Amino acid sequence: MDLGTRFLKLAEHIKIGDFALLEDEPEAPNYDIVFVEGSPITKENIERLKDLRARSKVLVALGACAALGGIAEIKNYQDKNERMHYVYKNVESINNPDIKPLSYYVKVDWEVPGCPINKEEFLKIVKQLLAGVPPTIARRPVCYECQIRQNKCLLQEGLPCLGPLMLAGCGAPCPSSGYPCDGCRGPIPGLDPEKLTKQLLSQKYSQEEVNLILERFGLQDKVYPEAPTKQL
Amino acid sequence: MHIKIDHIAKIEGHAGFTADIIGGNVSKARIDVMEGARLLEGILRDRSIFEVSQITSRICGVCPVVHNLTSLKALERALKIEISPETVLLRKLMMMGQILNSHALHLFFFSLSDFFGFTNDLALIEKYPNRAQDALALREFGNKIIEVIGGRSIHPLTPTIGGFLKLPNKAKLAELFNESDKALASAKNLVKLFLSLDYENFSRSAPYASLTHIKDYAFYDGLIKATTKDKINPADFMETIKEHQLQNSVVKQSYYQGKPFMVGAISRLNNNHSQLNPEAKKALKSVKITLPTFNPFHNILGQAIELIHCTEEAQKLLRQTLQKDLQEETRAKRDELIQEKLKAIKNTAMGIDAIEAPRGTLYYFYEINGQGKIINCNIITPTSQNLARLERDLEEYLPQLVAKKTIKKEIEEKIKALIRAYDPCITCATH
Repeated sequence: MDLGTRFLKLAEHIKIGDFALLEDEPEAPNYDIVFVEGSPITKENIERLKDLRARSKVLVALGACAALGGIAEIKNYQDKNERMHYVYKNVESINNPDIKPLSYYVKVDWEVPGCPINKEEFLKIVKQLLAGVPPTIARRPVCYECQIRQNKCLLQEGLPCLGPLMLAGCGAPCPSSGYPCDGCRGPIPGLDPEKLTKQLLSQKYSQEEVNLILERFGLQDKVYPEAPTKQL
Repeated sequence: MHIKIDHIAKIEGHAGFTADIIGGNVSKARIDVMEGARLLEGILRDRSIFEVSQITSRICGVCPVVHNLTSLKALERALKIEISPETVLLRKLMMMGQILNSHALHLFFFSLSDFFGFTNDLALIEKYPNRAQDALALREFGNKIIEVIGGRSIHPLTPTIGGFLKLPNKAKLAELFNESDKALASAKNLVKLFLSLDYENFSRSAPYASLTHIKDYAFYDGLIKATTKDKINPADFMETIKEHQLQNSVVKQSYYQGKPFMVGAISRLNNNHSQLNPEAKKALKSVKITLPTFNPFHNILGQAIELIHCTEEAQKLLRQTLQKDLQEETRAKRDELIQEKLKAIKNTAMGIDAIEAPRGTLYYFYEINGQGKIINCNIITPTSQNLARLERDLEEYLPQLVAKKTIKKEIEEKIKALIRAYDPCITCATH
């Protein structure tokens, strides 16, 4: 919606099958492309995800929760039952599964990474999908875009910035705002995360502190050991 | 008659509705929340005070600014950190951006269709292309304010404990100021449409609450004014409205003195309308409404009036900011101050603060230790306060509907319209 009039222009070229923020009509029977936001938490979420996958030609994970697990995944690294009892008295009706990215449950064709997603990148990916072009995201680290913006390097200043490992395409808004990259777009496959961890440990950070950062968007299980699904 | 709506579209988050009406009486009316529990208050524990405000921002993609800022305010309370008038000014500006983009979304894209019976906004946009442009322009103006100050329009980055990691570029603030006249024109055009609408006639007796401030129409700061009561400190109010979890639900509900109450634009308008900016006051005068109003559909009207007010307020705050000499504070200085404050904590320290989010008062409570870790946390969102009142409203509204209308489909549409008038955010309510 933040694309404003450009979203309305885009809407002229597509048929919206289901978008509950804009319409209250019966859902389409099947989809050419489905964008799925969020990570499944309830049993119904998982069923719905599988059903959508079965009815769609292309499934795109939209945003960090769908692609990585997102902030809800933090509980995977804690005592999630204790966390549930802390928040709720009556826990019988609370679903409390481990939080997994969509790719754990179904085949994910493409990802629009980030929290938030980059609206320009989203628009570009939609256009590419409509044109039948594989929507690729250049395998560059956030540092690349950070340098173009001529920022002072936060890592060199001693801050725990994950920029060297993380997939660019966001335009590096975090380090440009004095906030170290915390990896909401996920790591670039094939890079060795240990190098950065070692660097941070050699500064003043403990392994625990590094883990807290990697847990924030659900990177922990993605960095060690597998790479994100499909990014050409 | 059994009414069951599986999914209420055009609200933020997922919810349904069920009710049974027997002989004109409603035996139960329930909003069925279908969100998963993210356990936010739980997962923040043992994490650092420096990161939690970024995590809580992710509770909601529509109102991240208020989660970010309320979290920071509660931490500053716990740490006993005073912030500068310049920081307050910039935070207030971000708040205006937040209210504008959220209200414009709700007013035009969520609620307006209900007045014309459209099931798809694309039809609405075709009928009112210029008003659609106004709504989008206001959203863009709001987003740009947040981006210029916060570094990003969704999940802002620069706000930190005690101030900002980076201050906004003055040339960009000046640019915003230059655009503000146009934004105000859009607000007035859009609001004119909302002033001319025919609002459902449904009044009931219900307490309402919002922040109130001696100096301005409160959003960022103030005391809680709950109808007949004196003004109450937000910390004390948060204690009194204790949440109750319903059986078989992931959402908690709040009561004030044992009664469900309402928060949001309608409550702010009821409490603070004398402090509206001039153009907003003019708009209010031009519509036939007696304040305080007890018609929940007037929440839509309240939001519309606030669109004008907040655009004027943004203009005012931008002018003030441009006259100030903004002093960059270094991260080292911030860290030093926080370390000093943490050292002063004996066992733990507690902080509660509140903000007027687009949908009503948002409360944060933190208990932190001397190592800067979160020990305890509680968040009460506007929608978890409103849900009990909304269900009660539906119980009172339904017999009225059944007496007038016979077609089930029409009754269902009216139910959805009342739910949307509250502008519920189920995502926030579950958190």
